[in-house]
Amino acid sequence: MPLAEMERLFQDGLLGSSREILSHVNGNAREDAGAMFGVYRNAYWARLVESLAVDLPGLKALAGDAAFDHLARAYVARHPSTTRSIRWAGRLLPQFLAREAPYRDDPWLNDMAHFDWALAHAFDAADAPVIGVAQLAAIPPELWGGVTLVLHPTLDCFAVSTPVDVVRPLLLANPRAAFDRDRRRDGGLMVWRIGDDLKFRAIDPLEQDALAAARAGASFGEICETIAARVEAEAAAMRAAGFLRGWLEWGIVQDIGHDAPGSA
Amino acid sequence: MRDVTQLGFGLGLRPQHYPAILDGDRTTAARVDWFEIISENYMVAGGRPLANLMAVRARYPMVMHGVSLSIGSTDPLDRAYLDDLKALAARVEPAIVSDHLCWTGVAGLNMHDLLPLPLTEEALGHVCGRIGQVQDHLGREIAIENASTYVTFAESTIPEWEFMAEMARRSGCRLLLDVNNVYVSAFNHGFAAETYIESIPPELVAYVHLAGHEDNRTYIIDTHDHPVVDGVWDLYAHAVRRFGPVATMIERDDKIPLFAELAEELARARRIAEAAAGPDQEVA
Repeated sequence: MPLAEMERLFQDGLLGSSREILSHVNGNAREDAGAMFGVYRNAYWARLVESLAVDLPGLKALAGDAAFDHLARAYVARHPSTTRSIRWAGRLLPQFLAREAPYRDDPWLNDMAHFDWALAHAFDAADAPVIGVAQLAAIPPELWGGVTLVLHPTLDCFAVSTPVDVVRPLLLANPRAAFDRDRRRDGGLMVWRIGDDLKFRAIDPLEQDALAAARAGASFGEICETIAARVEAEAAAMRAAGFLRGWLEWGIVQDIGHDAPGSA
Repeated sequence: MRDVTQLGFGLGLRPQHYPAILDGDRTTAARVDWFEIISENYMVAGGRPLANLMAVRARYPMVMHGVSLSIGSTDPLDRAYLDDLKALAARVEPAIVSDHLCWTGVAGLNMHDLLPLPLTEEALGHVCGRIGQVQDHLGREIAIENASTYVTFAESTIPEWEFMAEMARRSGCRLLLDVNNVYVSAFNHGFAAETYIESIPPELVAYVHLAGHEDNRTYIIDTHDHPVVDGVWDLYAHAVRRFGPVATMIERDDKIPLFAELAEELARARRIAEAAAGPDQEVA
């Protein structure tokens, strides 16, 4: 049998879609081929579930060991890894939970998966400098409308409907910690890294929309327009300026782009 | 840079040991001559992993050891992976870059395991061709390790030790001989581990791995979560008598003990190597 066909059969055996490989492999004097092939098959699932548990510890603590194992195996079955490092094998898990019943109906699971993954991303995302308020102050006010932001590569920001940032540390300290599952808090969570320190901050829905717009490349003027649809027009610029100052102070802005004075 | 065979006695670099290596007892740290890194753990954009890596690299020689090259896969080589591997090697300046005789997936999937190959002429030609491509891409020689295996293929026609030696001769790569893996596969498949060692030409061996395993009585799994067992130490002594002084390291990937405990286990490797090499040979 050609090597390519043998490898396909072996992989199908690991994934559980075929047992044909068992007629091509040998066990030993003590165990048959099925038992020895089972070493690989068990390791495949166990290694991925364990890796997901390492990368998503909040989700495991929230779900509990048995439910997490079930969830993780369902995810692996739906999304066999295509990443060269197992470190990234869980990258589609937040989307999987958002789409699949019964997980899609549990906002805590969805928010926790996003939060865990954002922390994992921030941990070893690219290093980059940040700028402060002084760099913004150096730009003439009449040019602010065209200012765009280069946000820090460690930053992630996503909508949440629960105070998952409050509950996660409780569950990591004690997976049986009691908390109010009916509690809700709309808005967003931003996660980033300064030096070696992981940071996170809950933000209100307005700031969540503004930051999402900034991440999508919107100019400061366009961010003001986004906000103006939600608050009084004269307050919009003030709120946007306040958000921008905060982002600069927290260290999530890598650079500012703007048109040179006098340019069209 | 010293030839890899002369590096001495090393350990796998694990994050749990960064404080002991960088800020701990210097006497303990001095008992380790070099570190082997898992390449993929440092193929990241930034953050603490790379900072710690370079802090350790400033003090110790290193070897890069990968798990994702998939040299035996019939999927095309992953050029982006090779680019990143080359970039990491430029940063780390390792004594050698190594990976395993295995494949990790086909059809674009990654099983994240070191899967066995049927040991056939077709597989030998396939692997040798890809090693050549990898060495050309990286601009350097690589070493390939014998993996522990749990099944053999009915189609196999070449003993593993012959496959390894011929692979190195044809492709120009060197061998990373994992003595524990020889021990594990010998038990699992019923061959004599000494035959394997005695069939490997000494000049092909770049360095040696030692590790612990899980003995399930009817089969052994290469878990890297236990100390090296006496049978593997005996086989290691046999290997040193055949290969002479050769760089050696201990891998521990789970249930990782204190750094000082692993340094003590490494000291045992040094003592065994000195005794096996005899009074007239200097152990690196």
